Amino acid sequence: MKFLYLMAALFCLGGPAQAAPTADEILAAADAIRNPPKPFSVTVTLTEFQNRKQIDANTLTSYSRLQPSGQYSSLVRFVLPARDTGKLMLKNGNDMWFYDPVNKASVRLSPQQRLLGQASNGDVATVNLAKDYKPALAGQEEIKDGEGKSRKAHKLALKAAVPDATYASIEMWVDVENSRPLKAHFYAESSRLLKTVYYRKFQAQLGAERPTESVIIDGLNPQSVTLMRFTDYKERDIPETWMQRDFLPRFQAE
Amino acid sequence: MMSTSTLVRSRSCLGAVAVALLVMAPAHGASADGDALSLESAPADSAGARNAPKLFIEGAIGSAQSRVLPGSSDTGRLSLDVSYSGKLGTNWRLVFSDRIDVIHPTAAPGTDATINSLREAYASWQPVGGGLSFDFGRINARSGPGYGYNPTDFFRDGSLRVVTTADPFALRQNRLGTVMLRAQRLWEGGSVSFAHAPKLESRPSADGWSADLGSTNNRARSLFTLSTKISEGINSQVLLYKDAGLSPTIGANASALLSDAAVAHVEWTRGREPDLLSRTFGGPANLATRNRFVGGVTYTTLGKTSITAEYQYNGFALSQSRWAALATTPGAQFLYLGESLRRLELAPRQALLMYVSQRSLWLKDLDLAAYVRFNLEDSSKLAWVELRHHWSNFDLTLQWQQNIGRPSTEFGLLPDRRVVQVLGTYYF
Repeated sequence: MKFLYLMAALFCLGGPAQAAPTADEILAAADAIRNPPKPFSVTVTLTEFQNRKQIDANTLTSYSRLQPSGQYSSLVRFVLPARDTGKLMLKNGNDMWFYDPVNKASVRLSPQQRLLGQASNGDVATVNLAKDYKPALAGQEEIKDGEGKSRKAHKLALKAAVPDATYASIEMWVDVENSRPLKAHFYAESSRLLKTVYYRKFQAQLGAERPTESVIIDGLNPQSVTLMRFTDYKERDIPETWMQRDFLPRFQAE
Repeated sequence: MMSTSTLVRSRSCLGAVAVALLVMAPAHGASADGDALSLESAPADSAGARNAPKLFIEGAIGSAQSRVLPGSSDTGRLSLDVSYSGKLGTNWRLVFSDRIDVIHPTAAPGTDATINSLREAYASWQPVGGGLSFDFGRINARSGPGYGYNPTDFFRDGSLRVVTTADPFALRQNRLGTVMLRAQRLWEGGSVSFAHAPKLESRPSADGWSADLGSTNNRARSLFTLSTKISEGINSQVLLYKDAGLSPTIGANASALLSDAAVAHVEWTRGREPDLLSRTFGGPANLATRNRFVGGVTYTTLGKTSITAEYQYNGFALSQSRWAALATTPGAQFLYLGESLRRLELAPRQALLMYVSQRSLWLKDLDLAAYVRFNLEDSSKLAWVELRHHWSNFDLTLQWQQNIGRPSTEFGLLPDRRVVQVLGTYYF
């Protein structure tokens, strides 16, 4: 009889028991929202601001596919400004190349070279963090999202788990309600804040509600802000043979 | 180039400001985020602009200080550059690339001031879903990761109709392709290709509007290339090249990621052919089996500067003693240098190149590129510096070149001691 009372009390308290998601599950769900699972292309418009004044704008198209390793490889074609139209950048793990169709030169890039430019912001957009980082749950917080609304969020503390991870550590806030990534802090080895990123303007794209804009705030100079706008998502047949140096001269934009 | 420098966005001169901001950041973080979140993106690009021909015009005015004549002479150039690559149906692709240069003064008295360089004009057929492709036409088939010298770039000789700059990267932009049939098969992590270029003309053309097939297709040539991704950090190519009337030349090149900040590259060829002196003056060919080699390292600093050091070797070039002996024949050294430039060959046996690039040198849109080329045989040097400022569709560039060396050295022999020019480039 005591057993029946105990069971009844448990049901009254909370219904059937539901395990809280682990940090790994939260991160994987947030990754799945940022990154379509099938090969896709997306147009990225980068707008740079300094002290709220627009100082630059670039457009590129990114062609990405998930590798068996669990990480994304990307072929980026520069669209604007006109001087850079047609130039390509390939990232397939640490196999990174820059290709200029005018002089036919394929130049291998070191990770440090690649980090210097806007293409590195693509890492913030298309990277499976769960693959390169070990997450730990650091509690729940009420935060303002990228559109100024209050959201209850899981706070994740990510540590680099592979030697070639771009950042030493990351703090990430993921919406408790729907696993949307809301905000992240990216840190260097020295614990210096490199960038703050807000994910916002969620829209239905390729089968899920995905962020169509990221606001990237420079960690050292918060007046330096880059907006990344994602438009024209398309599912595409992107063969693995695209993701190598020798394909670059044969790439043809559509 | 990016050039690698396309990526560089330096703020190295902002040290004091950075420290101040770092201290201030926590206090102002929330409001700074709020400010940032109120910003709006630029409008997304319209799809129509993406596959339009790439077109730019460039004008240059400058001054060349002669070694022998007093004062300096004016130089000028106007260039129109167009390139296009587009799909024709599902399987076909067309590529076209052309450049017109109007130059002053002309390369030699009586030669055309207007030079057209038909760089590429070819069709490509690629069956859907396969890694196979066939290309036919004038193709700029370039290989080799070297910065200033590319021994494995077998179709380089005779490919420059006009030399408008000392920048090795810009020189490659102007080079002519070779008419060839090329087949290539790609697979995951590698490719194999075969190219055959037939003989179409016997001699180069001085006519400024000529397609100048005599410069690029004056003999039959074939090239077999096997590319392999050895690991995530190492790529290589093995090449076998056959020039009509000569034994096959073997070559290899590779690039490797040494660390997060360093990339290495090497190129090597070995073949039996006439030395550069025989090629310059004709007569009985002095056939020998020798090597060409390039090896270099590019390091990117935390200050966001990319520095490349490259050693260059050409076993077919004159040794220092034979170069010195050539000075007894008036004009012979100059002809030898002219032939080495025409062939994009290394004139001395050994040379060293130091190349530096940095984006956002003092201003966000100001880029620096500079190099020094050392002739390790006669100690002469060529120094070149470029400062380029970008606006949205316009670049303003200052170039400065200094040829340093005693008379009868490689760079001391060049007619100009110093060349300074200002360039304006408008991109449509």
